[in-house]
Amino acid sequence: MQTDSKNVAGSLPDQGDSYWYAIKKQFRNSRASKWSLRVLIVLIFIALFADFIANEKPLYCKIDGVTSFPVLKDYLVKMNLAKWPTPLLNIDWRNADYDRVILAPIPYSATTFDLENAGYKSPFDQQQVKSKRYWHWMGTDNLGRDTLAGMIAGTRTAMLVGVIAMSIATIIGMFLGTIAGYFGDDKFKISRIKILLNIVAFFFAIFFAFIARQYILVEGNTFLELMKSMVIFMIVFVLFNLLAYVLEFIPFLKKEIPVPVDILVMRLIEVMNSIPGLLFLLALLAIIKYPSILYVMLFIGLLRWTGIARFVRAELLRIKNLNYIEATEAFGFDSFRIIVKHAIPNAITPVLITIAFGIASAILLEAFLSFLGIGSAPEEVTWGKMLSQARTNFSAWWLAIFPGIAIFVTVTVFNLIGEGLTNALSR
Amino acid sequence: MLTYLFKRILIFIPTLIVISLVAFAMRLASPGDPINIPNSDKPVFRNDDLWKKRAYEKKAEELNLDKPAFYFNFTSAAYPDTLYKILRKDERTNIKKLIGQYGNWNDIHKFQQQIDVLKDKLFDLPDEINQTTKNKIRNTLSKTKISYKDKRITSFLNEVNNKINQDSILNQYLGADTKVLLAAYQDVKKQATPSALWVPAFRWYGFDNQYHHWFTSFLSGDFGTSFQDGREVTSKIKSALSWTLLLNFISILLAYLISIPIGVIAASKRDSIFDKTSTLITFLLFSLPSFWIATILVVFFTTPEYGNWTNIFPSIGLGKNYGVQSGWANFWDVAAHLILPVFCLTYAALAFISRQVRGGMLDVLQKDFIRTAKAKGVDDKKVIWKHAFRNSLFPIITLFAAVFPATLAGSVVIEIIFNIPGMGRLAFESILAEDWPIVFSVLMLAAILTIIGNLVADMLYAVADPRVTFTAEN
Repeated sequence: MQTDSKNVAGSLPDQGDSYWYAIKKQFRNSRASKWSLRVLIVLIFIALFADFIANEKPLYCKIDGVTSFPVLKDYLVKMNLAKWPTPLLNIDWRNADYDRVILAPIPYSATTFDLENAGYKSPFDQQQVKSKRYWHWMGTDNLGRDTLAGMIAGTRTAMLVGVIAMSIATIIGMFLGTIAGYFGDDKFKISRIKILLNIVAFFFAIFFAFIARQYILVEGNTFLELMKSMVIFMIVFVLFNLLAYVLEFIPFLKKEIPVPVDILVMRLIEVMNSIPGLLFLLALLAIIKYPSILYVMLFIGLLRWTGIARFVRAELLRIKNLNYIEATEAFGFDSFRIIVKHAIPNAITPVLITIAFGIASAILLEAFLSFLGIGSAPEEVTWGKMLSQARTNFSAWWLAIFPGIAIFVTVTVFNLIGEGLTNALSR
Repeated sequence: MLTYLFKRILIFIPTLIVISLVAFAMRLASPGDPINIPNSDKPVFRNDDLWKKRAYEKKAEELNLDKPAFYFNFTSAAYPDTLYKILRKDERTNIKKLIGQYGNWNDIHKFQQQIDVLKDKLFDLPDEINQTTKNKIRNTLSKTKISYKDKRITSFLNEVNNKINQDSILNQYLGADTKVLLAAYQDVKKQATPSALWVPAFRWYGFDNQYHHWFTSFLSGDFGTSFQDGREVTSKIKSALSWTLLLNFISILLAYLISIPIGVIAASKRDSIFDKTSTLITFLLFSLPSFWIATILVVFFTTPEYGNWTNIFPSIGLGKNYGVQSGWANFWDVAAHLILPVFCLTYAALAFISRQVRGGMLDVLQKDFIRTAKAKGVDDKKVIWKHAFRNSLFPIITLFAAVFPATLAGSVVIEIIFNIPGMGRLAFESILAEDWPIVFSVLMLAAILTIIGNLVADMLYAVADPRVTFTAEN
């Protein structure tokens, strides 16, 4: 980030400190913010290294004189870069004869069925384990899956949901908020023919990209075909805009009229805000044939961009009247460059607050959806799903308490960071 | 003000239309068939088959499913414009997939018709052929009719062909038609015109369509009948809505009643112990997921699982005596069952409101007029409640716009966990059962309630602060 442009907009506590440095300083002033940041780092660490913390495969082992690093190898195998050697292919990792072995701190994967300890074993129950090393410290569920391992894997899911959902929301919200705030209702002018042809192009793009290819999209390699559809989508737009460029030789068609971007975006926000989001999500996710957490992230992102858009719009309304933006306009820079290089960097800090709170609520929402058994595939491990098992068996208090604490802590951390940022920015 | 109100109501309409369109699109995309009448798989006489077919048609007519889905259709020219006339949903989706592959509707149609011809001829077989063989052939043919993958169709056709070739009588009666069938399928593949899929076609169907019927009858208050039990959606929703509104009303009222004093006192005694603890507690409550707390309350306090002393509250639901007893007994019974749900809804709203009240009060307390009042010698209580609180009412009221929809969404969670027959549980169960008339109505009503909540908050602005007018923009 450039610090020079910041100095104009932000108020500086000390001369010479950069804007970001000042915010960091303010943020660290609060003990709660400092601690929440530390907990967040721990959570990120757990999410990144979940496979090394809880895994039924050992980190390092030597079997029949052959040395291997099964956890690392597993990554390569999953990426199709390597294959398991035959003796390790169908090995029962937990009962194998090792010459030497280093187990993961928690020697269970979240999906390991420890059938000897199936049927809700409490941490204090008599557990059928080889040694204390294999003890289920947070108990097991009906199928003998280790709760602690599930908590670790769930951390990764929760963080992914928060980050990806909010990334989608941020992209949409930033884009719409920026154009609404910067262009307002009269600054965005395009020629008549361009408006017309872009509307037509939209329908044709939808047709050629999705309607004509619906069979292959559903039946083929969905991701690859989706990418192809996107390319087709863009090509159609490019072609129509070229056509518009040619037709602009006619003066009547070339006449530029303003597009009321602000009104359009604000109306859209209003419509989005009156959608009962939770019920909509439930209905949308329930009709998906092969549920996956990815859809949950996508839909949360598509629903939750309005807050960010509003913030960015308000910031840009403020910024666009500042002297330095007027100066860049006087220089004749094009709007794109002004927005991306000069306006957005100054509007981004308040958005961080919304993002922090947004991550918290996205994690909460996903936890609730999987709690209801909607949205995630059976093999995906989430805190909400673990918590829901307590509903079917009231005696399993550990399943009611531990995943709930995990959700609570994560949500609190993000809320605290949001709070800390709010305070840091308001001073 | 009136013009403003009018404007807002004008925005209502597109919002409702958007929501109805999305809900309708979801219904179209949902995999299930609302009419649960399968084709008869072991008919002995032609009439058995026909009867089932008629029953399906009748039901489809009743539910308006025999009409085109929407006012218009924007799709490939390869798809026939009368595709909606194929009533069975599984067959229709299958034909769509076949066209999506081969693009030649005429050949596909001939092929599908030939399957029916062959199925029909099975009734004319002499009695020497036993019923099991007939049923087997019929079954395979039925499966052929709803498969689109080349591999599957080929294997089914081979199966039928082999069976018919093995038996001389079968061959005598059905041999020729089977050959036609095989040839028809070869035609589908050979004369495929996938390029036809790239020709766009726009078809106008007029107002006699499913969406139009659905939406207009919704606006006139007729929500249709439930797919599940045929009951009127209106009556189902009425009883559900009363529970939801009861829950929400009590919770929001309680939340406001508790949180306003907390927020005001905390702000007026800034940095005191009361302020610090109440801020901390409300912050923690704010982050506590209500579905977790609800689960914990249900697990620990409604069952004798952890000893009798924790079994304080009645089990989830409304109790088996609800509606059986009368008057006060019923009232107390319901009240006992609602304590925990109301608690869960209240604390979530309370945490949010009291934090906002505190923030608003802090802002006002720094203003000059407060200092003036204090300097004048007005006593503290009066300064806080009469001068400061009144001026911080503004943000408190606007909160209603945020609290109302949030509580409504929150009550979905709570109703499901505590088994309260409100809108949330009704919606959830209908979604799982693909009972679209109910889902559609609930979504629309929830949206309307949300919009009304926003509108009421806007109106209250003007009441609380006479400076607010809605005449000028912004």
